Amino acid sequence: MLTVALDAVTTAAMLFIIAAGLLIVFGVMKIINFAHAAFLTVGAYAALVGAHLNLPWFLVLPLAFVAGALCGGVTEIVIVRRLYKRPLDAILATWGLGIVLGQLITLMFGREVQFVQAPISGTVHLFGADYSAYRLVMIVAAVILGLLFTGLLNGTRLGLSTKAVIMNEMLAQGLGVDSSRVRLITFALGSGLAALSGALITPLSSVDPNMGVPWLIGAFMLVMVSGGSLLALAGSCAVLGTLQVLVSTFVNPILGGLTIAICAAIVLRIRPEGFARA
Amino acid sequence: MNSRLLTTSLALALAATTLSPAFAADPIKIGVPVGLSGANSVVAPSVVQSAELAVEEINAKGGVLGRKLELEVADDASGAAGAQKAFDALIFQKKVNVLISMETSAARNAGLPIVARGKTPYIYTSFYEGKSCSPYLYVNAWVPDQQVPPIVDYFNKEKKAKNYFLIGSDYAFGRGMLAFTKMYIEKTGGKVVGEEYLPMDGSDWTSIISKLKASGADALITSTAGGAPNVTLTKQLRAAGVSLPYGNLAVDEGTAKGMGADAAGIYLSASYVTGIDTPANKTFLASMAKKFGAELKTPNDLSVPQYEAVYAYKAAVEKAGSTDQDKVLKALAEVSVDGPRGTIKMDKQRHAPLTMYLGQVQPDGSVKVIQSFKDVDPGAQCPGKS
Repeated sequence: MLTVALDAVTTAAMLFIIAAGLLIVFGVMKIINFAHAAFLTVGAYAALVGAHLNLPWFLVLPLAFVAGALCGGVTEIVIVRRLYKRPLDAILATWGLGIVLGQLITLMFGREVQFVQAPISGTVHLFGADYSAYRLVMIVAAVILGLLFTGLLNGTRLGLSTKAVIMNEMLAQGLGVDSSRVRLITFALGSGLAALSGALITPLSSVDPNMGVPWLIGAFMLVMVSGGSLLALAGSCAVLGTLQVLVSTFVNPILGGLTIAICAAIVLRIRPEGFARA
Repeated sequence: MNSRLLTTSLALALAATTLSPAFAADPIKIGVPVGLSGANSVVAPSVVQSAELAVEEINAKGGVLGRKLELEVADDASGAAGAQKAFDALIFQKKVNVLISMETSAARNAGLPIVARGKTPYIYTSFYEGKSCSPYLYVNAWVPDQQVPPIVDYFNKEKKAKNYFLIGSDYAFGRGMLAFTKMYIEKTGGKVVGEEYLPMDGSDWTSIISKLKASGADALITSTAGGAPNVTLTKQLRAAGVSLPYGNLAVDEGTAKGMGADAAGIYLSASYVTGIDTPANKTFLASMAKKFGAELKTPNDLSVPQYEAVYAYKAAVEKAGSTDQDKVLKALAEVSVDGPRGTIKMDKQRHAPLTMYLGQVQPDGSVKVIQSFKDVDPGAQCPGKS
């Protein structure tokens, strides 16, 4: 029972880490960045490169973040900027970009599965059960990430401008907020977060050109039911992540993989604003 | 001085032409439909390389019945749709005399009707889930009846395992392998305490691992899709501190090497490992290294059968005295080949008894052979057919 509880919490933490970048982009720009999976993969390969260069883990994470943020910044300027008024085309364009990035990675690193050693291995004895140490680290990472972004949004000038753009872009522009700069920074930040999450999950996952794709649909659904709020995202990750673990454990892992998508669809049907305060 | 150099080189060139064997008739064409793109793209280059070596060696010794061998490689994209195109092009446009190839089961099944229309002999060189029968098909790689028993027998005897837990990817090969494993475990007195599957692209094994830990199993056998699922499962097992005897039906030497320390301790069962200590294997490995140098893809359990199958076809054509399809098909069951894996004869319902090796991955990623099982019978794969 305890293991199930730990599984639920760590699963929720991983989902939160992966979906946070997508949520931030969606919150500010009202577009879904389907290249999120590709940026996640970029981060994982950055971690791989870092590992080959024997960089310590605390340097690998910023490296992944910067790699993702750079990719995201270029993407915003070259592609996404032109599509703010056409959110559906933006989905298509970012999805296509994801395929292109996947192929570029294949060309550079090859198609095969690669490996990054975990910085922390083994198990921790916790409340009478042995549990994977790295999964527990995920909880800490999720909490730090959540706090950092809450701080960024509520405690800085950039956060204030961002919130102004989220609430009423026209008005914000009228007050002198450079909304295109806010959008650029937000997109780069979201992409950097995606890459960071990729680097964080590699010790539990494999590194291959399509590694991000299985995570994308879950993250997308979670963002849909969270409606742009970080707190709501934490809530939906906790609820849906727990449900996924329960279904996987007590019914069948194949159905478990579908739980988030199905539950999110049901939640949206009953309550279109999802877990966000209306 | 200059004219002397010219004469010498002319003489040398002349000597070279007369020394190389003269080939009388048209070449014999070998079609190799293989997954150069898609799921098999990682392993396919090694398969093509070993076929190239076999053809080069045979041609250097005068070919087959005085005719040169020639390879026709076609991409089947690792799937059914690509295989239909590749088989069609090879059989009806390139008019190949035989098909020899490692492919996915989907590609093989899609190609067989075309093989039947063209009445072309087809040697399949990939291990697979078994029971594929066609009058034109021969198989020189293992089936579950050959791969699973070494691991289960070893766990039963040496590890005193009674309760087994099975984990797989949800597709035909994964489920087929584990269905046989379950039957074999129960036949030998063990019990299966859990059997769990994740979709092929699944990468989160959390709850399955928790169930494994709660199940009280004393041995674990997995059969996932190759590549990513296998890696994620192994890493998460190790992260969760699972240290049960762990038999992996889908890992190969290359993957084990790449996985590093996480793979250490895994048991695998194969008809070929590079460490087989025979002169034939050493000669083969040296020739591969010489021909391909830095480009060499490590020979493996999928590429070595390909090499031997080319020799099996040569022997069958020589026994038949022609490339006549009916005669060659009959002869394929009667000839035997001495190759890196030992002496192989496809005489058991178009399948071959094989010597299987039980290996354990070492901390440095190499595979140590623990035990070998001589000439394991493929069992009844195509009852009623000789």
